[in-house]
Amino acid sequence: MLIRIAWRNVWRNKTRSLVIIIAVVVGLWGGVFSDAFMQGMTEQQIYSTIHTETGHIQLNQPGFLQNFDLQKRITNADSLVAILKTNPAVAGAAAIVRVTAMATTASSSAGIMVNGIQPSDQQVVSNLSQLLVQGDYFKSNRANEAVIGQQLADKLHVKLKSRIVLTLQTVSGDLVYGAFKVAGIYRTHDSDFDQQMFFVRNQDLQALIDFPPAAASVITVLLHQSDDTEPMAASLQEQFPDLQVQSWVQLAPMLQAMSGTMLQFSLIFVGVILIALAFGIINTMLMAVLDRTREIGMLLSIGMRPAKVFGMIMLETIFLSLTGAIIGVLVSVASISWFGQHGIDLSIVAEGFNALGYSSKVYPSLGADFYLILTCMVIGIAVVAGLFPARRAIRLKPAEAVRGE
Amino acid sequence: MQFSGVTGEWNNSFKTNVMSVIEIQQLTKTYRETLVPVHAVNGIDLKFEKGEFTAIVGPSGCGKTTLLNLMGGIDRPTSGQILVEKVDITQLTASQLVDFRLYNIGFIFQSFNLIPVLTVEENVGFVMELQHRQREEITARIQYLLTAMGIAEKTKLRPKYLSGGQQQRVAVARALAAKPKFILADEPTANLDSKSTNTLLNLMASLNEKEQVTFIFSTHDQRVMDKARRIITLEDGKVISDTSVKHSHAEAQN
Ligand SMILES: Nc1ncnc2c1ncn2[C@@H]1O[C@H](COP(=O)(O)OP(=O)(O)OP(=O)(O)O)[C@@H](O)[C@H]1O
Ligand SMILES: [Mg+2]
Repeated sequence: MLIRIAWRNVWRNKTRSLVIIIAVVVGLWGGVFSDAFMQGMTEQQIYSTIHTETGHIQLNQPGFLQNFDLQKRITNADSLVAILKTNPAVAGAAAIVRVTAMATTASSSAGIMVNGIQPSDQQVVSNLSQLLVQGDYFKSNRANEAVIGQQLADKLHVKLKSRIVLTLQTVSGDLVYGAFKVAGIYRTHDSDFDQQMFFVRNQDLQALIDFPPAAASVITVLLHQSDDTEPMAASLQEQFPDLQVQSWVQLAPMLQAMSGTMLQFSLIFVGVILIALAFGIINTMLMAVLDRTREIGMLLSIGMRPAKVFGMIMLETIFLSLTGAIIGVLVSVASISWFGQHGIDLSIVAEGFNALGYSSKVYPSLGADFYLILTCMVIGIAVVAGLFPARRAIRLKPAEAVRGE
Repeated sequence: MQFSGVTGEWNNSFKTNVMSVIEIQQLTKTYRETLVPVHAVNGIDLKFEKGEFTAIVGPSGCGKTTLLNLMGGIDRPTSGQILVEKVDITQLTASQLVDFRLYNIGFIFQSFNLIPVLTVEENVGFVMELQHRQREEITARIQYLLTAMGIAEKTKLRPKYLSGGQQQRVAVARALAAKPKFILADEPTANLDSKSTNTLLNLMASLNEKEQVTFIFSTHDQRVMDKARRIITLEDGKVISDTSVKHSHAEAQN
């Protein structure tokens, strides 16, 4: 009976209830959708970092990453890559010779990282070849071709077919110069990467710096399943105890930290919105109690216990809030799953996002744990919001309330 | 029977060994919220017997509502006693008072008697549910009371679709539903036209006659006073007359 009365009371003043319900729907949808959007951006960023830059796992000599010492190399890299490729969980493996260099043109110069790659292997572990804006990805058989980022091309004022002179050290420490011709220009969503990463053919670089042909600085591994990353890294470490095995989590710790704190951040964000909405709910319910002073006085007079009156107002508040929350969550889930499939194209404002490493198309997504905690938060907020009007109701003195004061 | 300072005669038919339902002794209620204290009830002694049909009358502000609220246990007196079947309700705790009201008193107010979101039958059943009665008993009693009040065909409607007089009849049914010891009605006809007033009063009178339901009501309306069998007149919080009128309801109905 109490439930029936409370539910019908919610719909007594339809306009007033609808206003607050719509506020809850819009507020929640805004909050939840923004959270899903940010979550989608993070996932996108992780995906493109793995698939363009790092792969799932990298192997190198311990200490190599500190100062890119050419002596710290994997001597049997080619045979290692061959072994890795036979593993059914591995989608691809590629050896890279990596060395720092100074790139110079007639008008400008820049510090870069030269990556000597085997194009056929590299194309499997990295989608960079699909991100070319000009030229092609080592299609011709000409020697000393380079694929560089748009940012670096702009900085060095070079176009396709321009010549760039690299200054670098050989394995024995002597300075050498090498001239490379720009064959392709790529553009990723990470402007740091685009400014630094300079790709050439393995054999061209090895010849220039006297690097042993079968060796490499880094081996990148791409897996079929992202979930296999940690167990695979552990088993590779066991298999090759002399090498340093790192997953993308260690290679891009910021990303991992971001995705790890995303849930808390999202909940705080909707939490703040919910608290703001709570004030609206309290206000609506206080008005409802005020409007019904005589009626509540009558209920108390005829023998309804104050505890029941309190419960009735609490239930009304909860019903009011939950109606809004349920609609809000349904709208959120519907819009998130639609945009999760179709994506939100941000190309108009994409420049800014690119600088941060984000893709221009975002696929919002949220986990079930988010909705679970959100539901608990909504109920919690509704209960707290209900306390004020419910307390107001039972503080009414029946004799005064029935007089209508 | 002592009625010091009261000029009205005392009807001896009440003197028989019927126990008083209510016995009020030296009751006062003083409001001190204002600069000058208001003695809304100023030393009242009264007795009410089972089966009374009594009007409390007097000019506006004489203390009718205050007296009824005190008798109904929704307000606390400044001093004095209210014995309901020998129990002094002024000594009850707030929680005991709630149950006292639920099981002993039927209230009818001038307006706002019904829960707008409940149908007529749900309104009548509501107090019985608060009393945790059996479902079958509730259903049967709703049917009986609404038939007795002549609104059996309106059971599924919400109060707003009823006329003022019909709403007050539902309020009477609701008050009776709890099987109270007595019914307190504060100006139950104040918002009604004369036809509805007549209908309501006749229904109340016949319930009083047939089922010995005790009605105590306040009024301004001469026609309502005419139906009463005892008229208590208040002035400035004091009883200035207490008269018994010897007539049967049958005669009053004409
Ligand atoms: N809460 C209150 N605070 C102060 N004074 C009050 C309060 N309630 C009632 N009074 C005063 O007590 C007196 C009696 O009021 P009460 O309402 O009992 O009169 P009444 O006979 O019912 O009047 P009416 O016929 O207008 O309904 C009045 O003077 C009124 O102003
Ligand atoms: Mg009054």
